[in-house]
Amino acid sequence: MRGFIRERDGRLSAEFEPEEVALLSQLARETAELVEDWRSGSETPADDVWRSSSESPNNDQWRSSSESRSDTHIETPADDPAMLRLLPDAYRDDAAAAAEFRRFTADGLAERKTANARAVVASIGTESTTTTTVRLDEPAVQAWLRVLTDIRLVLATRLGIEHDGDRGYADSDAAILLSDIYDWLGIVQSSILDALTEPPDRAPFQS
Amino acid sequence: MTTGWASTTLEDTRTSTNEQIETDETTVLGTPWVTIVWNDPVNLMSYVTYVFRSYFGFPEAEAERLMLQVHNDGRAVVATGTREEMERHVEAMHDYGLWATLTKADA
Repeated sequence: MRGFIRERDGRLSAEFEPEEVALLSQLARETAELVEDWRSGSETPADDVWRSSSESPNNDQWRSSSESRSDTHIETPADDPAMLRLLPDAYRDDAAAAAEFRRFTADGLAERKTANARAVVASIGTESTTTTTVRLDEPAVQAWLRVLTDIRLVLATRLGIEHDGDRGYADSDAAILLSDIYDWLGIVQSSILDALTEPPDRAPFQS
Repeated sequence: MTTGWASTTLEDTRTSTNEQIETDETTVLGTPWVTIVWNDPVNLMSYVTYVFRSYFGFPEAEAERLMLQVHNDGRAVVATGTREEMERHVEAMHDYGLWATLTKADA
């Protein structure tokens, strides 16, 4: 990756390698599917990253989180810690108020999260054989910031990252890989935030 | 919030009392609520600062101060107002992926 910079037209641009394009679009799609599955109460988990991780024998945490996902339509996402982190309780000590808030907001939030993920996939594409230059206008930047956060929230719950400084599970190659991806997504997000605070690039040949 | 009573004249006191009653009525009619953002191990400090700045419109220094309060104390009150306003803020924070709740100010 070549990190994000602000272009003269105000858009942010970055370059991604083919495997980064594939990874990012896959994670965005799977996060959208996780949210969509929850919305529709679907029984088929579509998240291949989580599922493929659970194929390694020492990885009960992936399997349990995958199995615990809804077999019936759930009003609260308590069954899946990742969904609970994407759509947290708005009231800590008032379950009824939290449920009421969820009833009025969860659907809209979930819809926006999937729309953001689709926007990210649209801007980066799904596959590429060469380096891909991504150019983001303001709405796309907002979608990217949120989707990167959502993916990292899901990964963190899968990795057991609960407190500041937690590095997460490192008991399998799959967990170590997810941990690296988690860090890399943070770097991508930092790069966007850095570029947002930079003034537009003034190239010498600009009229 | 009843400051300055000792040094006021009788006339001032009457005015202050009227103001006080109005304030109390406002409080009674709409008990203030607060939006709290909680620390989490996932969100980058720079992102939390960005959200406070861009969503609430805080100046950079204030956004940074609140972010550090979240980081160091585990939580920070980022807004005060009606319950409806705070619910809107909390929903917006959840949209950004921040962990936010609302509660009565005196809770």
